[in-house]
Amino acid sequence: MAEAHQSFEEYCRTVFDAKKIFEKPEAFKGYVAISTTQYILGPSCANYFAELGAETIKIELPRRGEPMRHTTPYNEPFLYPLSKQMPDKGTGLGFFGANHNEYFLSVDFHKPEGVEIVHRIQAKADIQAENYRPGTFDRWGIGYRQASKINPRLIYIWMGGFGGWGPGRVRASYDILGQAQGGTFSITGFPGPGQGHPAVGLPSKHTIWLADYWGGMMGCFAGLAALWWRDNVSGTGEFIEYSQVHGATRIIEGTLPLYGRYGVIRQRWGNWDTELCVHGIVQAGKSSYPGSNIPLEMEPGQILISAPEDSDYAKLCKLVPNLAPLAGKYARYEDRIQPAAQTEIYTALEAWAKDKTKEEVWKLMEDNNINSQPVWSNKEASKQEHFHLRDELHWLDDPTFGDVLSQGLPYHLSETPARHRWVFKPVGADNEYILQKYCGYGLDQIRELEKNDII
Amino acid sequence: MTEIKSSDIPVLPWPAVPIPTPDEVYKGLSEAARNYPNWLEENVHFRDVGKKPEKLSRLRVLDVTQKSMSGHWCTSLFGEHGAEVIMVEPPGGDPTRKLTPFNRKQLMFKDNVVGEAIGSKFLHECRNKSSITLNLETAEGRELLKKLVVDSDVLVENYPPGQFDAWGIGYRQLSQLNPRLVYCWVGQRGQWGPLKDRPWMYDPVAQSACGFTHGTGAPAAFGGRPTRSGMWVCDYVGGTTAAMGIMAALNYRDRISGRGQFVEATGAAGIMRIIDYNWGWQGMDGSIRPRFGNWDLAINIYAVNPCKDGQIMVGGGHDRLWYRIWKTVGKDRPELEQHIVEDPALKVVVDRLPFYAQVETYTTFADWFKDNSRLEAELKLQAEEVASGGVTFADEVAEFPHFKYRGHVNVIDDVLYGKILHSPPSQLAQKAPPRLKWIGRPTGYDNEEVYRRIFGFKKDDIDGLKRRGVI
Repeated sequence: MAEAHQSFEEYCRTVFDAKKIFEKPEAFKGYVAISTTQYILGPSCANYFAELGAETIKIELPRRGEPMRHTTPYNEPFLYPLSKQMPDKGTGLGFFGANHNEYFLSVDFHKPEGVEIVHRIQAKADIQAENYRPGTFDRWGIGYRQASKINPRLIYIWMGGFGGWGPGRVRASYDILGQAQGGTFSITGFPGPGQGHPAVGLPSKHTIWLADYWGGMMGCFAGLAALWWRDNVSGTGEFIEYSQVHGATRIIEGTLPLYGRYGVIRQRWGNWDTELCVHGIVQAGKSSYPGSNIPLEMEPGQILISAPEDSDYAKLCKLVPNLAPLAGKYARYEDRIQPAAQTEIYTALEAWAKDKTKEEVWKLMEDNNINSQPVWSNKEASKQEHFHLRDELHWLDDPTFGDVLSQGLPYHLSETPARHRWVFKPVGADNEYILQKYCGYGLDQIRELEKNDII
Repeated sequence: MTEIKSSDIPVLPWPAVPIPTPDEVYKGLSEAARNYPNWLEENVHFRDVGKKPEKLSRLRVLDVTQKSMSGHWCTSLFGEHGAEVIMVEPPGGDPTRKLTPFNRKQLMFKDNVVGEAIGSKFLHECRNKSSITLNLETAEGRELLKKLVVDSDVLVENYPPGQFDAWGIGYRQLSQLNPRLVYCWVGQRGQWGPLKDRPWMYDPVAQSACGFTHGTGAPAAFGGRPTRSGMWVCDYVGGTTAAMGIMAALNYRDRISGRGQFVEATGAAGIMRIIDYNWGWQGMDGSIRPRFGNWDLAINIYAVNPCKDGQIMVGGGHDRLWYRIWKTVGKDRPELEQHIVEDPALKVVVDRLPFYAQVETYTTFADWFKDNSRLEAELKLQAEEVASGGVTFADEVAEFPHFKYRGHVNVIDDVLYGKILHSPPSQLAQKAPPRLKWIGRPTGYDNEEVYRRIFGFKKDDIDGLKRRGVI
């Protein structure tokens, strides 16, 4: 038990102890979620419910499964097998982050027997995430309009690119289309020429499938709120529509108010900050891995130095000889934040860090109480005891694939923590379990369905 | 440096181009084809939100965060879904209010009562919230917070790790006063563990620590270097995970346990959860995810391509789109289409993913783009129903017909701030949709109302608090 006499840190280590996660209850034990999804946006949304304890049934087309199973960096890493029918094929790592803990059912939605299976599961489900093209499930008879008649308490989250109505409704979308069309590209990366920044670059994407994964979180939050409303207030289900292109517009900060009132079109400012200084990423000229022949490790290091307050800046100037001449000139925030000042300050910092590794700079900053953080690759981040201790990253003994390094949990709950059981399973791995439990089918019926390519 | 004066560029009214009408949008569609979009429009259009209930209107959320956006973003989600959100700010207000690009004060927003200027970033996430001031550095201020907590459901804070606990207002103490309280701390790397947060760490700390920045930007061979997001993206992602954790805790409290819990969310963990396949890949063979510019390691075609006058995104991760893309190219440049579709090494989807295959694809594609403007390319590709769209800037985002039609970009005529262009809640819903009710409040604008309503204070009490520097 967490005691009052513990230090705060010990107390946190006790209540959030990753080793105790499986001794605690799950927030959504007994809840049933359906994931009729593909790619990342819809799957990740359903996955967040699976982490919280809902029994989540992922329904895919038989044999080959959903397209994301065939997506992997450079076509190199795969996890085998893909399905019972295709044991020599594997699932690509694109499938990795968005399908933890789920049960895998394969159903051909196009056939009436398949529709019947979906209806039987919908009758018992609390949540459904779906991201086929708008209206497709409606046409197949398994959309919200039909499902809500079978089960009025069902919360149905449709997610996709542009939404099912309006001028763009027929347009296909992907994560980076959301990022491009929503405006996040236009404010990320190094600025165009002649904008007062020494480095020049193009609008840049967020390298991760941000609009998908984070969009899934937005859908999940709406779903959690709908569950709360259903169970505590209304008793009724809900239909939610989430457009990832719009989602990307929602997080471009104050860009729209600025444009609307002042006509200012926000641009890019590289690795520095338009609102805080010093608060930017500085190149440390020396590689941290002198003996390495891996190109990414031979590159110079990068480190964030954050000393935005006047007092931090004064401290930094004492520490960095190259900055000393600029100490008085830019002692005040309002002078330091100007574009020309930032160029001068960061140039001086980079000149100083030219013969240092990012670790050397980091140590100096840490010793002097200045916030800083090396720019870590995934390899460097994965070696941090911190993230493993907190279960934000872990080696998972997966029942199908053995030891895998996997992302852990996005947040910590002291009483009902989320948890990961397995990363995913082959296509149709849980057909028998799900069809018995939710549809009332016996083995003979299941074999029949298999024979007729329904599952 | 002296202050830069406002330019004289006239600001266009919004919308500069009229919003399309339903007749224009659904022109030429059969009754059957109109049925589903019409049903959706009747059920989820934002114009009807005022007639519908709000999901979380029975909840009270205290936003005791400052100097960052994670907490404000988190509570925005609650505010949009109907919860009463009270921002508890230090006297003088959260310093984030004062942030404006390059300190350009002429780009701030003033309310018409107090005349306080606030920056656009803060204004956008001040929505549906009220603001009170409370000086937590005074014992009296902390006592008032305790009283406020007694009748609240959620408290979100982001002070340095252990600060609230040391002040006697941490989870350990407040959960004694209100066992139903869901208490959430949001930060960058965490409030415990070897890399725990130091005082006032900001978003890029998390961006740099989690592997995100290292993998973003162009490869070194193209002159690129690790690139941070232009947004405080870890604040937004970490804030969203915090909101998910809190909402899960509320569900559990009200359905099962009757008790709240302690929630912790960080920007680093939020991004690490969603950083694609990085961990699995590295665990398998030690790979470090390389920077790949505006291309994608795992999908081809899936990239932002340079064209005559800008950049355009094109995606075609499976055969159907792949051949449509090259058909589009082939209409202008048959030899380019031929070059690609006749290459045996590019016949199968996954065979297109290795590096050399991507180089071949995109250099061939670029040959077509160099003769096409963004608009020309977009029209040609969309005629073949290929997922594509320009890299758009704020002005184009604001005027994008689809956004205008659906209300994804909208103007609110706020009682205090006047006309503000903004992005409303992005989750539409049929029965109890989230909504924007007001855009923001000046610092402490609701002191009088909240201290009277919740504490039963009279004018003398409030004046006394002000005099003693408590509010």
